[in-house]
Amino acid sequence: MASLLEVKELTKEYRGAAAVQDISMSLESGEVHALLGENGAGKSTLTKMIAGVVDPTRGSILLDGKPVSFSSPAEALRHGIAMVFQETSLVPSLTVAQNLFLGDEKAFNRLRPLYIAAQQFLQSLNFPVDPTLNVSALGAAQRQMVEIARAVRKNARIIIFDEPTATLTPEEKQHFFELIGRLKARGCSIIFISHALEEALAISDRITVLRDGKLVVTDVTANFDRDKIIRAMVGRSLSDELYGAHAGSRKVRGYGKRVLSVQNISMGRMVRNSSFAVYAGQITGIFGLIGSGRTESAKIVAGVVKRNFFHGGVTRLADRIVRYRTPAPAVRNGVAYVTEDRKSEGIFETMSIAQSIYTGLLASAQHRTAVVSKSEMRSVAEHWTQSLSIRAISPDAPVVELSGGNQQKVVIAKALVQQPKLVIFDEPTRGVDVGAIAEIHAIINRLADEGMAVVVISSYLPEILNISDRILVSRKGRIVEEFAAGEATEEKIMYAAVH
Amino acid sequence: MTRAVSRKRLITQEKIVFAIFVLLFLGFSLFLPGFLTANNVALLLQSVSVLGILSVAMGATIIAGAIDLSMVALMAMSVAWALQLVNNGMPVPLAMLIGGGSAILVGIINGVLVAYVEIPPLFATLATAACIYGFGRFGLISQDTVYLPKNLGWIAELGHGRVYGLPMPVIVFAVLAAAIALVMNYTKFGRFAYAIGDNRATARITGVPVRPVLVLQYTVSAIVAFIAGLVQATAINSMNTRITDTLLIYEVILVVVLGGIGLSGGKGGIRNVVVGTLLIGTFLNGMTIMNIQFTAQNAIKGLILLTAIAIDQVINPRDEQTSQQGDI
Repeated sequence: MASLLEVKELTKEYRGAAAVQDISMSLESGEVHALLGENGAGKSTLTKMIAGVVDPTRGSILLDGKPVSFSSPAEALRHGIAMVFQETSLVPSLTVAQNLFLGDEKAFNRLRPLYIAAQQFLQSLNFPVDPTLNVSALGAAQRQMVEIARAVRKNARIIIFDEPTATLTPEEKQHFFELIGRLKARGCSIIFISHALEEALAISDRITVLRDGKLVVTDVTANFDRDKIIRAMVGRSLSDELYGAHAGSRKVRGYGKRVLSVQNISMGRMVRNSSFAVYAGQITGIFGLIGSGRTESAKIVAGVVKRNFFHGGVTRLADRIVRYRTPAPAVRNGVAYVTEDRKSEGIFETMSIAQSIYTGLLASAQHRTAVVSKSEMRSVAEHWTQSLSIRAISPDAPVVELSGGNQQKVVIAKALVQQPKLVIFDEPTRGVDVGAIAEIHAIINRLADEGMAVVVISSYLPEILNISDRILVSRKGRIVEEFAAGEATEEKIMYAAVH
Repeated sequence: MTRAVSRKRLITQEKIVFAIFVLLFLGFSLFLPGFLTANNVALLLQSVSVLGILSVAMGATIIAGAIDLSMVALMAMSVAWALQLVNNGMPVPLAMLIGGGSAILVGIINGVLVAYVEIPPLFATLATAACIYGFGRFGLISQDTVYLPKNLGWIAELGHGRVYGLPMPVIVFAVLAAAIALVMNYTKFGRFAYAIGDNRATARITGVPVRPVLVLQYTVSAIVAFIAGLVQATAINSMNTRITDTLLIYEVILVVVLGGIGLSGGKGGIRNVVVGTLLIGTFLNGMTIMNIQFTAQNAIKGLILLTAIAIDQVINPRDEQTSQQGDI
C-alpha cells in the first residue's frame, strides 16, 4: 500500500547552494513523524516544500501515490496539507472565531452564528479558548490551538508543525502533546520539527534526522535514544557537554560583590512586589513559566519597559538607587539585556555582523568620540567573531543570513562589546541549534568566571539547572523561592513555579 | 552549519537610475537642440538645487525611519517671515536669527511629536505643515509673495552668485550633500540614524538614545529647509508662500525613493539622493525645453518612479531566505 505522503529526491537550491538535497521520505496515515536536525539542516525548507510555501528545485511529492505539485499553501491546504508556522499567521486584531473562519466568510457575515459555530467546533476539539476574544489577547499556547483548529477545520489530513513547543510553558506543552494524541486518533498525520529531543522521543512514532540538507537516518522512535539522535544530528556526541554536567561534578561559584538589588518592584499585573539580588562572579538563573513576570522584571531593571507603564519599588545598582526609563542610560551604566525576541528586537536587518557589533560599542560608555572609524569597527568585529566563534564567511556578512545560533552570538557580542557589569540573558538558547547551545553556555560560564554578574532567564529546566550557581523561581510576578545549585532539582523548581 | 552567503547586489536601483540618467542626458544632448550648452547645463543644475538640498535632508530623515512632510511649508514660511522682517526695517542678522530660530523650533517640535509623543511621522509632520502655513499666513506674513530686500548682502549671493562659473545654489547643494553624507557615514549620530531606521526596537535595547537622535534629525531637517528657502528666495528674488501648495514635497520624496532609499528606513545613502536629483533634474529640464505640459510632466514622473521600483524588484527579488530568519 502506498504511503499517505511520499517525497522523492526532493531538492531545493538557493543560488546554487543546496538547502535540501535529494531527500526521500514517507509519512503513513495516523503517524507522528518528528523531523530533527540543527539549525540550517534543512528541516523548515523541506516541510515548506511539502506545504507549498517553497517551490522545489527538483524531485517529486506523491500524495496517496499520485504526484502533486502545489503553487501555494492554499492549494496544499485544498489537498489536506496544512502547516502551522513558527510565527503564527493569525490576525491579531480579529477574534478567535473570525480567525477560524477567515477566508470562508459568507457575503453577509453575521458574528453571532460565527461565534456559536466556533464555540461548538473548539469544544469538539476540547480546546479551552473563548471564540469571542481577540487573538491579540491570547497567550502563545492558545494562539497555537486556534491555528491548529483552523487547520483541522479545513480538513487537513497532514499537519506540519514548525517548532510547536518553542514558545510554550511545560504545562502548555503537556496540553499540546495531548492534542497531538487526539489529532492522531482522528486519523491526522503529523510532521513536527523540534529542537527538544525529549519531546520527539516522547510523542513521535518515527524520527528522521537531517544534517546539512541531507537525510542522515530515519527509523521508528523506539530505536532511538537521546545520544543516538544527537550523534546523528551533529555527527558527534554532545550529550555530556550539554546537560550532563550538573550531575555533581561541576563546581558552584561563590558570591561576589552585590551588583544589583531589587526591592518591591511592581508593574501592572505582571510584576508584583518582586525582590531579589544579583552578585558578581556567578550566574543567577531565573526560572518561571510564561506570565510569571520573569522577563518583565528584567526589562524593568534594564530600562526596556516603556515609561508609560508605572512601576514602583527600588532598584539599586552597586548600592546606588537607579531608575531607568530607557535602555540608553542603563547601557551606559553597564547593564546589558540580551533579548528573548531576537527577530524583533535583537538584530538589525540590513546590517552586517561588524556593523551590528560596532553599533553596540557606539551606544556604550566605552566609545566617547562622536566620530566613527571603519578600522576600529573591523578590529572590534574580528575580536568578537573570534572570541565567540561566530561562523560566517566574513564579518561583513549580513546578520540575517546566519543560522539562529550565530545570530544569537552576534546579539550577545553586541551586548558584551559594551563591557557591562551586569548582563541579563533572556532565553539565550531559544531557536538555537544543539551545537551552538553548548557554545553559548560556555560563553556565559566564561563571563561569570571573569567576574561579571550574569543573569540567565530560561523556561527550560535542564538549562537552568546546568548553568546556574543560584536559582530564583518566579511565580505570578514575584520571586518566590531561591535554591542553591546543589539543592535544586527539576521537581523542586517546578513545584515552586506552579504552586 | 553556517549558510551565510555574502551577496553583493551587482545591479542596484541606484545604478539603474544612474544609467537612466546617463541615457537621458545623452539622448537629450543628441536630439534636443539647446540642451547641451554651458548655459543650459548651469541652469539645469541651478533649477534642481533647491530640490536637491531638500532631498538630502529628507533622505537622511527617511534613513532614520521617519519622514518630514513639513519641509516645504517650513522653508516657505520661515524665509518669508525673515525677509518680511528685513523689509520692515529689522537688521538682517537679527531677522535671519529669528527666521532660522523659528525653523529650529519647528524642527524640535516635530522631533518631540514623533519621538516622545510617538505620533506616526507622516501625520505629525503633515499636521505641523498645515499649522506652519496657516499660522504664518494668518499671523506673520501679510501677502502671498514676499519680495527680496535690497540690503541682504552676502546672503543674496546664495541664489545669484557664481563661483568659477558654477551657480552658487549648486555649490550649496554640493556642500550640504557632502556634509550630510559625512555625518551619516562617519559620525555616531549617523550610525545611530541608520540603526534606528533599520530596527527601532533593537536600536533602543542596544542603548542607542533613539529619541534625542530623532529630535536632532528633525532639527537638521528644519535648518536645511531654511537654507533651501534662502537659496530659493535669492535665486528668484522673492519667496512665494504658495509654494507650500505645490507638489514640491512629493517631488522631494520622489527623488529620495527614486535614488534607492527605501521608505522603510535604514537603507541607502546620500549618494542615492544625488543620483535621484540628477535624473529628475535632467528630466524636468528636458521636458521644459520640449514644451511638455506641466500635468503631463507629473504623469511621466509618476511612471518613472513605478518603472524604477519595478525593475529593481524584478532584478533583485526579495530573497526567500531573507524573509525568514533562523532555520532554513
